[in-house]
Amino acid sequence: MHATPTIERILRGTAIALVCLFFMFPIAWIMLMSIQTNETILRVPPSVVFAPTFENYQALITGKLETAAGTLEINFMRNLWNSLLLSTSSVALGLVLGVPAAYAFARLKFRGSEDIAFTLLSFRFAPPLLVLLPLTIYFQQLGLANTYGGLIWVYQLIVLPLILWIVRGYFEDIPADIEYAYRIAGHGFWATFRRIALPLAGPGIAAAGLLAFIFAWNNFVFALVLASADKQPVTVGALAFVTASGIQYGQVAAGIVLSIAPTFALALYAQRYLVEGLSLGAVKG
Amino acid sequence: MSLELRNIEKAFGKDTVLDGVSLTVARGETLVLFGPSGAGKTVLLRLIAGVIEPDAGAITIGGRDMDGVEPEDRGIGMAFQNFALFPHMDAFANIAAPLTARHQTKSAMRETVGAVARLLKIDHVLHHRPKELSNGQKQRTALARALAGQPSVLLLDDPLRNVDAKLRFEMRLELPRLLKDQGATVIYVTQDYKEAMALGHRIAVMAGGRIRQIGTPAEIYLSPADIEIARLFGDPVINLLDVRPERGSQGVQVRLSDQALAIDAGFAAAIGRDCVLGLRPEALRFVAEGSPGAIPVEVETETPLNEKTVTLALTLRGREIMVSRPAGTPGPDHGRAHVAVDAGHALLFDRASGARIDPAAPVTPSRKEAVA
Amino acid sequence: MTTTHTQSLPPGPRRHRFRVSRRMLPYLLSLPALLTCIGILIPFLTAVAYSLQRYRLSQPWARQWNWGQNYLNFLSDPAFWNTLKVSVTYALVTVVVELLLGLGIALLLQRRSRLNNFVSIMLLMPLMTAPALAALMWKLMTNPGFGILSYLAGLIGLGDFRWASDPQTAMLTVVIVDVWVYTPFIMILLLAGLRSLPQQPFEAAALDGVPRLFVFWRITLPMLTPFLLTATLFRVIESIQQFDIIYAMTQGGPGDRLTVFQVEAYLNFFQSTNVGRSAALLMILWAITYALSNVFIKNWLRLRERSRGNA
Repeated sequence: MHATPTIERILRGTAIALVCLFFMFPIAWIMLMSIQTNETILRVPPSVVFAPTFENYQALITGKLETAAGTLEINFMRNLWNSLLLSTSSVALGLVLGVPAAYAFARLKFRGSEDIAFTLLSFRFAPPLLVLLPLTIYFQQLGLANTYGGLIWVYQLIVLPLILWIVRGYFEDIPADIEYAYRIAGHGFWATFRRIALPLAGPGIAAAGLLAFIFAWNNFVFALVLASADKQPVTVGALAFVTASGIQYGQVAAGIVLSIAPTFALALYAQRYLVEGLSLGAVKG
Repeated sequence: MSLELRNIEKAFGKDTVLDGVSLTVARGETLVLFGPSGAGKTVLLRLIAGVIEPDAGAITIGGRDMDGVEPEDRGIGMAFQNFALFPHMDAFANIAAPLTARHQTKSAMRETVGAVARLLKIDHVLHHRPKELSNGQKQRTALARALAGQPSVLLLDDPLRNVDAKLRFEMRLELPRLLKDQGATVIYVTQDYKEAMALGHRIAVMAGGRIRQIGTPAEIYLSPADIEIARLFGDPVINLLDVRPERGSQGVQVRLSDQALAIDAGFAAAIGRDCVLGLRPEALRFVAEGSPGAIPVEVETETPLNEKTVTLALTLRGREIMVSRPAGTPGPDHGRAHVAVDAGHALLFDRASGARIDPAAPVTPSRKEAVA
Repeated sequence: MTTTHTQSLPPGPRRHRFRVSRRMLPYLLSLPALLTCIGILIPFLTAVAYSLQRYRLSQPWARQWNWGQNYLNFLSDPAFWNTLKVSVTYALVTVVVELLLGLGIALLLQRRSRLNNFVSIMLLMPLMTAPALAALMWKLMTNPGFGILSYLAGLIGLGDFRWASDPQTAMLTVVIVDVWVYTPFIMILLLAGLRSLPQQPFEAAALDGVPRLFVFWRITLPMLTPFLLTATLFRVIESIQQFDIIYAMTQGGPGDRLTVFQVEAYLNFFQSTNVGRSAALLMILWAITYALSNVFIKNWLRLRERSRGNA
């Protein structure tokens, strides 16, 4: 190994530091804001010296916001709950629908399987509003407007292609002989699927589920168009919160922190699979 | 249970893999499917196992048509070339797979698995996962799994391919007894002719999606159907020399190193045709100069193998021939030597078609007419 | 002892239970997923129909087929051309900046070390932030009253820098947010690509003392091309449809400064209630993304094949 010149190391170090500054600063700053009172937030010039407080979080959790004008009812916890419910249920439904289909596409090459798989994939790239706007009208007629069920179904638009394409790759990686061996040993198709294919694709299914959860959680436009206040997830709720709360910036910041924390945690947990998931299996991590 | 294949055809897209394969295996018989890779052997096994379906033709096991019968209902045991063990189950669960399908009691299962494992000497590693097993143990586990269900038809897809030479040798000795005890009808796929000869009651030689010859090991070795099969069996490989049979003093003869070599009079029909003479290395022996039929050769190199010594020599025309003799017997000096041919073992092939010319075959009627 | 386990499986009649024919099985397995998607296909076809109608939610009685009229109107509609211009500008600027920045960072972090791995994981965080929430974060930071960035802009002499509220700088502001969110996507894709490249050409070049710039242009870049292409197309397709960031930040404003396709279509639908125009806009966007995604899928499949082959 030849030694890297000092000047290059300094340049590299500086570049990495700048990159970290740009990408980490907003997150750090919002976190700092979330533990400040509005008085310290509004100070000019801004300062990082302040007495940290958790009253913003407290206000969000209790749902009562003390303002100069009086007590304001906020329901941000409801948004968090909606996000959790919508994301979890969508992923659960997506797995139930997507895993068997992924298996069919991976193992049982059938007439039109590639075309169907591509059609499903192309949903990933179509403008969501194209489908959402007519759906607002249909949902009214079907009684699905502003229901969790309707939203969960629409969320399949992002969840399903993701699960299908990632899990399909994992099924394809299982040697067919292993499944044949189980069939020949006397087990039926379903038993083989359940006891061989599913466990062996397990890590892939888990990764796809986690990623699908992150995508569902971060979605904004579906709920913006189809949900009213009581069904809105955090992404839409936070926007409404900004408008409603006036100048309660500390609470807004705390709300943002609470909203991004779950995806951050999952991303850290599933980082090994992120590359593969984000590229729909095109690039192995 | 006997097994019958009738005119099996299978293509993947435009690639024809099996082109009209017919085969009957008697109950309790071990049939070896032998052939180069790509001959369609593995596909044939999979069709019998039912994991893929033939495009045409019928498969019957024990007289029952297998069309539409799922793999799990065919009563077959199969060992795969790459073992195909279930990576998430330990060796015990792997071997017990055919038993769990039949809802046996735990104790009956333990008993059966234990017996098979003891037979194959893997009873000490039953609680290891496949990745903790050595290659040889994996191979034995795969075999144990195939045997555990006591199937009436056993399909073994080159099970010794991926194990080391020592184990392959041991298993080659062990397997015939094992298969005999099992009493099952066995189809055994291999690319190793020694394995084929050691294990098969009969050998079916496959190439290009067809069965080229079926017969006992001796028949295949001594009377191969064509040049290609003659080359596939035997080590060192058979000597093949271009010749044109002519009428000689004692019937039919060919010329080797300017020496006339008398061959079976039954080859008369081949006189004047371009042929290939096939001489097994062990059908040649070194003799003293002046012995009857001695052919002069130039000795090039000698290679001692374990039980025999192989000599590479050149004829006067510069054609290479191999001569083998039992190890320890005296050989020729370097330089000039003479070999004699055991003419009774000389094979003759038609050069254009590659087919063996059978000296015992009656002259075909059409030829008779032509002569008349 | 029963004979069931000593005797081989009898080839008797099949057990009497429901069995799916092998040919039907794949369809059966994918049927639920397909039905869900057909449910999505219906509104798509409805949208096609809307785009060919004169249809305002406020005047349902005047709804009628006008066939290509909505599309023809676009030709003489400055708002449409503005939408097209803004969308394409947004897509091109964001993707070019993200590509350059992403490639640069990937090269910086290419060597596997504890620090580099840690930094690359940290850089995932913006990507894991919901774009709408990212927009809110930047909105807080660029608030003219207390936003840290407004304050910093003042410090470096930019005076009253109004970020997204100023028509002059609104595009710049949303582009920065987009770059913040999506550069890590390109970075991790290229980093995975870089780390998957075979090492021999680089070792050979190092032995021969080939200049590093030459190695980069002649070896690294060509070998990285499929990854670059995948990342670029992926991002162009998404970026030209951007909605979350722009809507959460400015709702398309100030004025019509940021009325990209989906924002314009949304406003048309919910504010002007002009369903026909809204649908026609989306159809044009769909045509653009469909063409791009076909190119993308071809390239992506090649990459996927290769990646699976290596695995």
